[in-house]
Amino acid sequence: MPGWQKFYHDLNNKNFEIISIAQDTGGAKDAAQWITAAKPDYTALIDDKHLVTQLYNMVNVPTAVWINEKGMIVRPNEVAYVDNRYKAMHGIDAGPYLDAIRDWVANGDRSPFVMNEQEVKERLQAPSAERSMADAEFALAEYLHKNGKVEDAIPHFKEAQRLDPDNWNYKRQAWALTDAEKNYGTTFMKEVQKLNGKPYYAPRKLPQKQ
Amino acid sequence: MLRLLTFASISILFAIVTTRAADRPVVVVYDGKPTPLVTSAEASRDLWITMKDLKRATGFVVKPQGVCRDELCFPLPSKRKAEFVSKRGSVTWFNLAAFAGLVKQPVARDERGGVWYFGKREDERGAYIASLEAPNFTLPDLNGKTHSLTDYRGKKVLLITWASW
Repeated sequence: MPGWQKFYHDLNNKNFEIISIAQDTGGAKDAAQWITAAKPDYTALIDDKHLVTQLYNMVNVPTAVWINEKGMIVRPNEVAYVDNRYKAMHGIDAGPYLDAIRDWVANGDRSPFVMNEQEVKERLQAPSAERSMADAEFALAEYLHKNGKVEDAIPHFKEAQRLDPDNWNYKRQAWALTDAEKNYGTTFMKEVQKLNGKPYYAPRKLPQKQ
Repeated sequence: MLRLLTFASISILFAIVTTRAADRPVVVVYDGKPTPLVTSAEASRDLWITMKDLKRATGFVVKPQGVCRDELCFPLPSKRKAEFVSKRGSVTWFNLAAFAGLVKQPVARDERGGVWYFGKREDERGAYIASLEAPNFTLPDLNGKTHSLTDYRGKKVLLITWASW
């Protein structure tokens, strides 16, 4: 987040806003310390029901979407790191993406990084029946967890993970809420090792600037 | 006095037993909103609730043209009406689980806690893909002030999700 604050501050464009949204069942209790430390001038929101994950059919963080002045999606879900802190793990270079955002902010719809409707539609997928069921199971699990039924929530978190196995948000959030090793027989690091070279993020394709 | 008390306690006990035999307390979560209500205990895959509770929990009402909320109306297949609506005595019941099946709405259920979670109907899922209008949301910041995506029309918005975990 401090990286995004610097980026936002340096861009200093009143027609550009960052809306960052914490996907955290624990809400402010878990997210606040990071927001407070970054002191963002941009909009920092807290989503304790993973509504945005569901609405935008997301599967991991950080995921970004570009939305133009009319509220239309001009670049759908893609991985969005502001620095190279975790590059050793995922191999994604932050620089070209930040340049792409700067180009968009300067040139608007003329930016080569803005997709036309056809391109956006090709990249967007309606959630599958399994994903929709996973969303419901995850939401039920979250409801139970928040109402003190921590044990009862676990089978529903597991069902959500079974239905949508590539959804890291649903896996990592559940693992973080209780003892993952004990209740799920795994941990995030173990699952990352199991990937064995398969990319954690869908590859990002940025066009070459003319 | 003792006899009166015994009579009273037996009556209360009887009332509790008969209530339990017919009805079960459940929580229906619909559009993210939890509503505690009572269901008539029958086949466990069904969720029969009163018309009053249907409106209270979901905002939907049963009309001659279908199950409706504002402009939205889902007609009930005429030959299968009994699967959805059932009149018993003076009370009309509605099967919310069967209706979910009709409108292709995922339902997650916790048997032990009696919680039924109704997810997004098929017509709501991915509806934005046709228009490409970014789905709106309203969420709080750290101070509890809510912000909607639509508040930012006229600006370019970089939406970024992250998490503490």
